[in-house]
Amino acid sequence: MSLVELKNVVKRYGTNTVLNGVSLSVEKGEIIAIIGRSGSGKSTMLRCVNGLEPIQGGTVAFDGTVVNDPATDLRKLRQHVGIVFQSFNLFPHLSVEKNITLAPKVVKGVPPAEARALAEAVLRKVGLAEKIDAYPDQLSGGQQQRVAIARSLAMQPQLMLFDEITSALDPELVGEVLKVLEEVAREGMTMMLVTHEIGFARKVANRVVFMHEGKMWEQGPAAETLGRPRTPELETFLSAVLH
Amino acid sequence: MIRELSFIDVLYLIAATRWTLALTAIAFLGGGIVGLAVALLRVSSLAPLRWLGAIYVHAVQGTPLLAWLFVFFFGLSIFGFTVSPWLAAAAAYSIYAGAFLGEIWRGCLQAIPRTQWEAGASLGLGFTQQLRYIIVPQALRLAIPPTVGFLVQLIKNTSLAAVIGFIELTREGQLTTATTFRPFTVYLIVAAIYFALCFPLTQWSRRLERRLHVAR
Repeated sequence: MSLVELKNVVKRYGTNTVLNGVSLSVEKGEIIAIIGRSGSGKSTMLRCVNGLEPIQGGTVAFDGTVVNDPATDLRKLRQHVGIVFQSFNLFPHLSVEKNITLAPKVVKGVPPAEARALAEAVLRKVGLAEKIDAYPDQLSGGQQQRVAIARSLAMQPQLMLFDEITSALDPELVGEVLKVLEEVAREGMTMMLVTHEIGFARKVANRVVFMHEGKMWEQGPAAETLGRPRTPELETFLSAVLH
Repeated sequence: MIRELSFIDVLYLIAATRWTLALTAIAFLGGGIVGLAVALLRVSSLAPLRWLGAIYVHAVQGTPLLAWLFVFFFGLSIFGFTVSPWLAAAAAYSIYAGAFLGEIWRGCLQAIPRTQWEAGASLGLGFTQQLRYIIVPQALRLAIPPTVGFLVQLIKNTSLAAVIGFIELTREGQLTTATTFRPFTVYLIVAAIYFALCFPLTQWSRRLERRLHVAR
Protein backbone atom coordinates (compact mmCIF):
# COMPACT_ATOMS: atom_id res chain seq x y z
CA MET A 1 0.00 0.00 0.00
CA SER A 2 1.26 3.45 -0.91
CA LEU A 3 1.87 5.91 1.91
CA VAL A 4 0.06 8.68 0.04
CA GLU A 5 -2.65 8.04 -2.51
CA LEU A 6 -4.41 10.81 -4.40
CA LYS A 7 -7.25 9.74 -6.68
CA ASN A 8 -8.94 12.12 -9.12
CA VAL A 9 -8.64 15.01 -6.70
CA VAL A 10 -10.69 18.06 -7.65
CA LYS A 11 -10.27 21.37 -5.89
CA ARG A 12 -12.21 24.50 -6.76
CA TYR A 13 -12.22 28.02 -5.42
CA GLY A 14 -15.66 29.17 -6.49
CA THR A 15 -15.73 28.60 -10.24
CA ASN A 16 -11.96 28.45 -10.53
CA THR A 17 -10.78 24.84 -10.77
CA VAL A 18 -7.31 24.55 -9.28
CA LEU A 19 -6.95 20.78 -9.27
CA ASN A 20 -8.69 18.97 -12.08
CA GLY A 21 -8.54 15.26 -11.36
CA VAL A 22 -5.08 14.72 -9.93
CA SER A 23 -3.94 11.17 -9.16
CA LEU A 24 -0.62 10.38 -7.57
CA SER A 25 0.77 7.76 -5.25
CA VAL A 26 3.85 8.05 -3.11
CA GLU A 27 5.64 5.05 -1.67
CA LYS A 28 7.32 4.98 1.71
CA GLY A 29 10.85 6.38 1.47
CA GLU A 30 10.24 8.10 -1.85
CA ILE A 31 11.24 11.68 -2.53
CA ILE A 32 8.92 13.39 -4.96
CA ALA A 33 9.65 16.78 -6.46
CA ILE A 34 6.64 18.65 -7.75
CA ILE A 35 7.37 21.32 -10.31
CA GLY A 36 5.26 23.59 -12.49
CA ARG A 37 4.33 27.19 -13.14
CA SER A 38 2.80 29.26 -10.38
CA GLY A 39 -0.93 28.66 -10.45
CA SER A 40 -0.54 25.12 -11.76
CA GLY A 41 -1.94 23.75 -8.49
CA LYS A 42 1.22 22.22 -7.05
CA SER A 43 1.06 23.93 -3.65
CA THR A 44 -2.66 23.28 -3.42
CA MET A 45 -2.10 19.60 -4.06
CA LEU A 46 0.52 19.48 -1.33
CA ARG A 47 -1.85 21.18 1.13
CA CYS A 48 -4.55 18.62 0.35
CA VAL A 49 -2.32 15.85 1.67
CA ASN A 50 -2.50 17.06 5.28
CA GLY A 51 -6.07 18.32 4.97
CA LEU A 52 -5.29 22.05 4.99
CA GLU A 53 -7.35 22.38 1.81
CA PRO A 54 -10.78 20.74 1.67
CA ILE A 55 -11.39 19.11 -1.70
CA GLN A 56 -14.50 18.95 -3.86
CA GLY A 57 -13.94 15.60 -5.52
CA GLY A 58 -11.84 12.44 -5.40
CA THR A 59 -9.96 11.06 -2.43
CA VAL A 60 -6.75 11.76 -0.59
CA ALA A 61 -5.45 8.94 1.58
CA PHE A 62 -2.49 8.84 3.93
CA ASP A 63 -1.35 5.49 5.27
CA GLY A 64 -4.80 4.06 4.57
CA THR A 65 -6.67 6.92 6.26
CA VAL A 66 -8.94 8.96 4.00
CA VAL A 67 -7.90 12.56 4.69
CA ASN A 68 -11.01 14.13 3.14
CA ASP A 69 -13.41 11.93 5.14
CA PRO A 70 -15.18 14.29 7.58
CA ALA A 71 -14.90 11.58 10.25
CA THR A 72 -11.11 11.56 10.05
CA ASP A 73 -9.35 13.13 13.01
CA LEU A 74 -7.07 15.57 11.21
CA ARG A 75 -5.22 16.39 14.41
CA LYS A 76 -4.09 12.81 14.67
CA LEU A 77 -3.19 12.62 11.00
CA ARG A 78 -1.13 15.82 11.14
CA GLN A 79 1.06 14.39 13.88
CA HIS A 80 2.40 12.07 11.21
CA VAL A 81 2.55 14.53 8.33
CA GLY A 82 4.90 17.49 8.77
CA ILE A 83 4.75 20.56 6.55
CA VAL A 84 7.21 23.38 6.05
CA PHE A 85 5.92 26.58 4.45
CA GLN A 86 7.37 29.13 2.10
CA SER A 87 7.04 31.88 4.71
CA PHE A 88 8.45 29.80 7.61
CA ASN A 89 5.46 30.56 9.88
CA LEU A 90 7.44 30.31 13.08
CA PHE A 91 5.62 31.56 16.16
CA PRO A 92 7.15 35.02 16.70
CA HIS A 93 6.29 35.21 20.40
CA LEU A 94 8.08 31.97 21.26
CA SER A 95 11.77 31.17 21.47
CA VAL A 96 13.26 28.63 19.08
CA GLU A 97 13.04 26.00 21.81
CA LYS A 98 9.36 26.76 22.50
CA ASN A 99 8.58 26.80 18.79
CA ILE A 100 9.93 23.29 18.54
CA THR A 101 8.61 21.86 21.79
CA LEU A 102 5.09 23.36 21.74
CA ALA A 103 3.48 20.59 19.71
CA PRO A 104 5.38 17.68 21.29
CA LYS A 105 4.39 18.99 24.74
CA VAL A 106 0.80 19.99 24.01
CA VAL A 107 -0.15 17.35 21.46
CA LYS A 108 1.93 14.37 22.51
CA GLY A 109 2.38 15.13 26.21
CA VAL A 110 6.18 14.95 26.14
CA PRO A 111 7.53 16.07 29.56
CA PRO A 112 9.44 19.42 29.55
CA ALA A 113 12.94 18.05 30.20
CA GLU A 114 12.57 15.48 27.48
CA ALA A 115 11.15 18.13 25.15
CA ARG A 116 14.22 20.32 25.65
CA ALA A 117 16.47 17.39 24.76
CA LEU A 118 14.33 16.76 21.70
CA ALA A 119 14.70 20.40 20.64
CA GLU A 120 18.48 20.16 21.07
CA ALA A 121 18.58 17.02 18.97
CA VAL A 122 16.57 18.37 16.03
CA LEU A 123 18.43 21.68 16.14
CA ARG A 124 21.74 19.82 15.89
CA LYS A 125 20.37 18.13 12.82
CA VAL A 126 19.74 21.48 11.13
CA GLY A 127 23.00 22.94 12.46
CA LEU A 128 21.47 25.52 14.81
CA ALA A 129 22.09 24.05 18.26
CA GLU A 130 23.43 27.38 19.52
CA LYS A 131 20.20 29.22 18.62
CA ILE A 132 17.95 27.30 20.98
CA ASP A 133 17.16 30.35 23.12
CA ALA A 134 16.93 32.88 20.28
CA TYR A 135 13.68 34.38 19.01
CA PRO A 136 12.64 34.04 15.36
CA ASP A 137 13.24 37.73 14.59
CA GLN A 138 16.85 37.36 15.68
CA LEU A 139 17.47 34.79 12.96
CA SER A 140 18.12 35.14 9.23
CA GLY A 141 15.56 33.79 6.78
CA GLY A 142 17.62 30.69 6.15
CA GLN A 143 17.98 30.04 9.87
CA GLN A 144 14.26 30.56 10.42
CA GLN A 145 13.47 28.05 7.72
CA ARG A 146 15.88 25.55 9.25
CA VAL A 147 14.15 26.01 12.61
CA ALA A 148 10.83 25.40 10.86
CA ILE A 149 12.22 22.15 9.48
CA ALA A 150 13.48 21.21 12.95
CA ARG A 151 10.05 22.02 14.42
CA SER A 152 8.46 19.66 11.94
CA LEU A 153 11.04 16.94 12.53
CA ALA A 154 10.44 17.09 16.28
CA MET A 155 7.04 15.49 15.73
CA GLN A 156 8.81 12.53 14.11
CA PRO A 157 6.51 12.49 11.08
CA GLN A 158 6.28 9.67 8.57
CA LEU A 159 5.93 12.10 5.70
CA MET A 160 7.19 15.62 5.20
CA LEU A 161 5.72 18.19 2.85
CA PHE A 162 7.84 21.13 1.71
CA ASP A 163 5.97 23.99 0.09
CA GLU A 164 8.46 26.09 -1.89
CA ILE A 165 10.56 26.46 1.20
CA THR A 166 13.41 28.36 -0.47
CA SER A 167 11.27 30.77 -2.53
CA ALA A 168 11.16 33.48 0.11
CA LEU A 169 14.88 33.37 0.79
CA ASP A 170 17.68 35.58 -0.46
CA PRO A 171 19.73 33.62 -3.00
CA GLU A 172 22.74 33.29 -0.72
CA LEU A 173 20.59 31.60 1.94
CA VAL A 174 19.06 28.95 -0.28
CA GLY A 175 22.07 26.64 -0.09
CA GLU A 176 22.02 26.14 3.68
CA VAL A 177 18.34 25.15 3.59
CA LEU A 178 18.79 22.74 0.69
CA LYS A 179 21.71 21.16 2.54
CA VAL A 180 19.43 20.45 5.49
CA LEU A 181 16.82 19.02 3.12
CA GLU A 182 19.40 16.66 1.66
CA GLU A 183 20.35 15.58 5.15
CA VAL A 184 16.70 14.80 5.96
CA ALA A 185 16.37 12.95 2.66
CA ARG A 186 19.45 10.86 3.42
CA GLU A 187 17.83 9.65 6.62
CA GLY A 188 15.10 7.98 4.60
CA MET A 189 12.27 10.42 5.19
CA THR A 190 9.38 10.23 2.72
CA MET A 191 9.20 13.67 1.19
CA MET A 192 7.00 15.61 -1.20
CA LEU A 193 8.49 18.90 -2.17
CA VAL A 194 7.14 21.67 -4.31
CA THR A 195 10.16 23.46 -5.64
CA HIS A 196 11.60 25.76 -8.27
CA GLU A 197 15.09 24.40 -7.70
CA ILE A 198 15.29 22.11 -10.72
CA GLY A 199 18.93 21.22 -10.05
CA PHE A 200 18.07 20.18 -6.54
CA ALA A 201 15.11 18.14 -7.75
CA ARG A 202 17.33 16.31 -10.19
CA LYS A 203 19.89 15.59 -7.51
CA VAL A 204 17.69 14.55 -4.61
CA ALA A 205 14.31 13.42 -5.91
CA ASN A 206 13.50 9.89 -7.01
CA ARG A 207 10.61 11.09 -9.06
CA VAL A 208 9.55 14.36 -10.61
CA VAL A 209 5.95 15.37 -11.10
CA PHE A 210 5.15 18.19 -13.50
CA MET A 211 1.85 19.94 -12.85
CA HIS A 212 0.14 21.98 -15.53
CA GLU A 213 -3.32 23.60 -15.49
CA GLY A 214 -4.46 21.68 -12.44
CA LYS A 215 -3.45 18.33 -13.87
CA MET A 216 -0.59 15.98 -13.37
CA TRP A 217 0.91 16.53 -16.78
CA GLU A 218 3.96 14.36 -16.75
CA GLN A 219 5.88 12.30 -14.22
CA GLY A 220 8.75 9.88 -14.06
CA PRO A 221 12.23 9.26 -12.69
CA ALA A 222 13.91 12.61 -11.98
CA ALA A 223 16.89 12.53 -14.32
CA GLU A 224 14.93 11.05 -17.20
CA THR A 225 11.92 13.35 -16.93
CA LEU A 226 14.00 16.48 -16.57
CA GLY A 227 16.51 15.37 -19.19
CA ARG A 228 14.06 14.26 -21.87
CA PRO A 229 10.65 15.86 -21.39
CA ARG A 230 7.89 14.10 -23.31
CA THR A 231 5.42 16.96 -23.45
CA PRO A 232 6.01 20.35 -25.04
CA GLU A 233 4.60 22.01 -21.88
CA LEU A 234 7.32 20.55 -19.68
CA GLU A 235 9.92 21.39 -22.27
CA THR A 236 8.75 25.01 -22.37
CA PHE A 237 8.66 25.17 -18.60
CA LEU A 238 12.15 23.74 -18.20
CA SER A 239 13.68 26.04 -20.78
CA ALA A 240 12.01 28.98 -19.03
CA VAL A 241 13.37 28.13 -15.58
CA LEU A 242 16.77 26.93 -16.67
CA HIS A 243 17.67 29.91 -18.81
CA MET B 1 -30.93 76.20 51.20
CA ILE B 2 -27.83 77.60 49.58
CA ARG B 3 -24.56 77.23 51.43
CA GLU B 4 -20.91 77.93 50.68
CA LEU B 5 -18.82 75.48 48.71
CA SER B 6 -16.26 74.11 51.12
CA PHE B 7 -13.49 71.58 51.32
CA ILE B 8 -15.90 69.01 52.67
CA ASP B 9 -17.79 69.13 49.36
CA VAL B 10 -14.61 68.27 47.53
CA LEU B 11 -14.17 65.32 49.88
CA TYR B 12 -17.73 64.22 49.11
CA LEU B 13 -16.94 64.37 45.41
CA ILE B 14 -13.84 62.29 45.91
CA ALA B 15 -15.84 59.85 48.03
CA ALA B 16 -18.45 59.54 45.25
CA THR B 17 -15.63 58.64 42.90
CA ARG B 18 -15.54 55.21 44.51
CA TRP B 19 -18.91 54.44 42.91
CA THR B 20 -17.56 55.56 39.59
CA LEU B 21 -14.66 53.18 40.07
CA ALA B 22 -16.89 50.36 41.31
CA LEU B 23 -19.19 50.76 38.30
CA THR B 24 -16.18 50.81 35.99
CA ALA B 25 -14.82 47.64 37.57
CA ILE B 26 -18.13 45.83 37.23
CA ALA B 27 -18.62 47.01 33.68
CA PHE B 28 -15.11 46.03 32.70
CA LEU B 29 -15.33 42.63 34.34
CA GLY B 30 -18.78 41.79 32.99
CA GLY B 31 -17.96 43.32 29.63
CA GLY B 32 -14.73 41.38 29.53
CA ILE B 33 -16.51 38.08 30.00
CA VAL B 34 -19.19 38.93 27.43
CA GLY B 35 -16.57 40.41 25.11
CA LEU B 36 -14.44 37.29 25.23
CA ALA B 37 -17.43 35.17 24.28
CA VAL B 38 -18.37 37.59 21.49
CA ALA B 39 -14.81 37.66 20.10
CA LEU B 40 -14.67 33.87 20.07
CA LEU B 41 -18.06 33.66 18.34
CA ARG B 42 -16.85 36.13 15.74
CA VAL B 43 -13.77 34.06 14.83
CA SER B 44 -15.54 30.71 15.04
CA SER B 45 -15.30 28.39 12.07
CA LEU B 46 -19.08 27.85 12.17
CA ALA B 47 -20.96 30.48 10.21
CA PRO B 48 -24.12 30.54 12.41
CA LEU B 49 -21.98 31.31 15.46
CA ARG B 50 -20.26 34.14 13.59
CA TRP B 51 -23.67 35.55 12.62
CA LEU B 52 -24.85 35.33 16.21
CA GLY B 53 -21.81 37.33 17.31
CA ALA B 54 -22.28 39.88 14.53
CA ILE B 55 -25.98 40.37 15.29
CA TYR B 56 -25.19 40.94 18.95
CA VAL B 57 -22.49 43.49 18.22
CA HIS B 58 -24.57 45.41 15.70
CA ALA B 59 -27.65 45.41 17.92
CA VAL B 60 -25.78 46.72 20.95
CA GLN B 61 -23.59 49.20 19.10
CA GLY B 62 -26.69 50.56 17.41
CA THR B 63 -28.59 51.25 20.63
CA PRO B 64 -27.81 53.76 23.38
CA LEU B 65 -26.41 52.56 26.69
CA LEU B 66 -29.01 54.73 28.39
CA ALA B 67 -31.75 52.62 26.81
CA TRP B 68 -30.23 49.45 28.23
CA LEU B 69 -30.07 50.97 31.70
CA PHE B 70 -33.75 51.94 31.44
CA VAL B 71 -34.73 48.51 30.14
CA PHE B 72 -33.13 46.68 33.03
CA PHE B 73 -34.05 49.08 35.80
CA PHE B 74 -37.50 50.38 34.86
CA GLY B 75 -38.47 47.99 32.10
CA LEU B 76 -38.24 44.79 34.09
CA SER B 77 -40.04 46.23 37.10
CA ILE B 78 -43.14 46.66 34.91
CA PHE B 79 -43.26 42.88 34.66
CA GLY B 80 -43.06 42.61 38.43
CA PHE B 81 -39.32 41.98 38.76
CA THR B 82 -37.59 44.19 41.26
CA VAL B 83 -34.14 44.85 39.96
CA SER B 84 -31.57 46.46 42.22
CA PRO B 85 -29.64 49.35 40.65
CA TRP B 86 -26.43 47.32 40.97
CA LEU B 87 -27.87 44.39 39.09
CA ALA B 88 -29.39 46.64 36.41
CA ALA B 89 -26.12 48.52 36.01
CA ALA B 90 -24.07 45.33 35.91
CA ALA B 91 -26.32 43.85 33.24
CA ALA B 92 -26.56 46.99 31.08
CA TYR B 93 -22.86 47.81 31.24
CA SER B 94 -21.82 44.19 30.62
CA ILE B 95 -23.98 44.08 27.51
CA TYR B 96 -22.68 47.42 26.32
CA ALA B 97 -18.98 46.89 27.10
CA GLY B 98 -19.16 43.30 25.88
CA ALA B 99 -20.11 44.42 22.38
CA PHE B 100 -17.29 46.95 22.13
CA LEU B 101 -14.62 44.83 23.78
CA GLY B 102 -15.72 41.86 21.70
CA GLU B 103 -15.25 43.88 18.54
CA ILE B 104 -11.84 45.19 19.66
CA TRP B 105 -10.64 41.72 20.54
CA ARG B 106 -12.04 40.18 17.38
CA GLY B 107 -9.96 42.67 15.42
CA CYS B 108 -6.86 41.70 17.40
CA LEU B 109 -7.45 37.98 16.88
CA GLN B 110 -7.99 38.51 13.17
CA ALA B 111 -4.87 40.64 12.92
CA ILE B 112 -2.83 37.50 13.54
CA PRO B 113 -2.06 36.02 10.13
CA ARG B 114 -4.03 32.96 9.06
CA THR B 115 -0.72 31.21 8.48
CA GLN B 116 -0.13 31.15 12.25
CA TRP B 117 -3.33 29.12 12.69
CA GLU B 118 -2.23 26.89 9.83
CA ALA B 119 1.20 26.33 11.31
CA GLY B 120 -0.44 25.27 14.58
CA ALA B 121 -2.98 23.05 12.86
CA SER B 122 -0.24 21.40 10.80
CA LEU B 123 1.54 20.41 14.00
CA GLY B 124 -1.57 18.65 15.24
CA LEU B 125 -2.89 21.34 17.59
CA GLY B 126 -6.67 21.63 17.88
CA PHE B 127 -8.65 24.88 17.56
CA THR B 128 -8.54 25.76 21.26
CA GLN B 129 -4.87 24.83 21.53
CA GLN B 130 -4.07 27.06 18.56
CA LEU B 131 -5.99 29.88 20.23
CA ARG B 132 -4.41 29.38 23.62
CA TYR B 133 -0.77 28.86 22.70
CA ILE B 134 -0.38 30.71 19.40
CA ILE B 135 -3.10 33.23 18.64
CA VAL B 136 -4.14 34.73 21.99
CA PRO B 137 -0.59 35.41 23.27
CA GLN B 138 0.13 37.39 20.10
CA ALA B 139 -3.28 39.08 19.99
CA LEU B 140 -2.92 40.14 23.63
CA ARG B 141 -0.06 42.47 22.79
CA LEU B 142 -2.15 44.13 20.12
CA ALA B 143 -5.19 44.30 22.37
CA ILE B 144 -3.72 46.24 25.28
CA PRO B 145 -3.75 49.79 23.84
CA PRO B 146 -7.30 49.75 22.41
CA THR B 147 -8.61 47.97 25.50
CA VAL B 148 -7.17 50.64 27.78
CA GLY B 149 -8.60 53.24 25.42
CA PHE B 150 -12.04 51.74 25.82
CA LEU B 151 -11.58 51.57 29.60
CA VAL B 152 -11.15 55.34 29.61
CA GLN B 153 -14.43 55.71 27.71
CA LEU B 154 -16.04 53.39 30.20
CA ILE B 155 -14.96 55.46 33.19
CA LYS B 156 -16.64 58.51 31.72
CA ASN B 157 -19.74 56.60 30.64
CA THR B 158 -20.44 55.35 34.14
CA SER B 159 -21.99 58.79 34.75
CA LEU B 160 -25.05 57.53 32.89
CA ALA B 161 -25.79 55.23 35.84
CA ALA B 162 -26.96 58.34 37.68
CA VAL B 163 -30.32 57.95 35.91
CA ILE B 164 -31.06 54.78 37.85
CA GLY B 165 -30.07 56.24 41.19
CA PHE B 166 -26.32 55.90 41.48
CA ILE B 167 -24.71 58.81 43.22
CA GLU B 168 -21.40 58.55 41.43
CA LEU B 169 -19.08 61.39 40.59
CA THR B 170 -21.20 63.32 38.08
CA ARG B 171 -24.42 62.94 40.10
CA GLU B 172 -22.65 64.02 43.28
CA GLY B 173 -21.50 67.08 41.35
CA GLN B 174 -25.10 67.86 40.40
CA LEU B 175 -26.20 67.53 44.01
CA THR B 176 -23.37 69.72 45.23
CA THR B 177 -24.26 72.33 42.62
CA ALA B 178 -27.87 72.28 43.79
CA THR B 179 -26.91 73.16 47.35
CA THR B 180 -23.99 75.53 46.71
CA PHE B 181 -25.08 77.05 43.42
CA ARG B 182 -21.49 77.08 42.20
CA PRO B 183 -21.80 74.98 39.03
CA PHE B 184 -18.65 76.25 37.35
CA THR B 185 -16.32 75.45 40.24
CA VAL B 186 -18.03 72.18 41.08
CA TYR B 187 -18.00 70.80 37.57
CA LEU B 188 -14.42 71.93 37.15
CA ILE B 189 -13.54 69.80 40.17
CA VAL B 190 -15.58 66.91 38.78
CA ALA B 191 -13.77 67.20 35.46
CA ALA B 192 -10.42 67.34 37.27
CA ILE B 193 -11.21 64.11 39.09
CA TYR B 194 -12.19 62.35 35.86
CA PHE B 195 -9.00 63.67 34.35
CA ALA B 196 -6.95 62.35 37.25
CA LEU B 197 -8.43 58.90 36.61
CA CYS B 198 -8.22 58.87 32.83
CA PHE B 199 -5.00 60.68 32.07
CA PRO B 200 -2.65 58.17 33.73
CA LEU B 201 -4.46 55.39 31.86
CA THR B 202 -4.09 57.02 28.46
CA GLN B 203 -0.43 57.73 29.22
CA TRP B 204 0.10 54.14 30.23
CA SER B 205 -1.65 53.00 27.06
CA ARG B 206 0.56 55.28 24.93
CA ARG B 207 3.64 53.85 26.55
CA LEU B 208 2.47 50.31 25.86
CA GLU B 209 1.73 51.23 22.28
CA ARG B 210 5.21 52.65 21.80
CA ARG B 211 6.73 49.58 23.35
CA LEU B 212 4.69 47.33 21.09
CA HIS B 213 5.96 49.14 18.04
CA VAL B 214 9.55 48.41 18.86
CA ALA B 215 8.89 44.90 20.13
CA ARG B 216 8.21 42.11 17.73
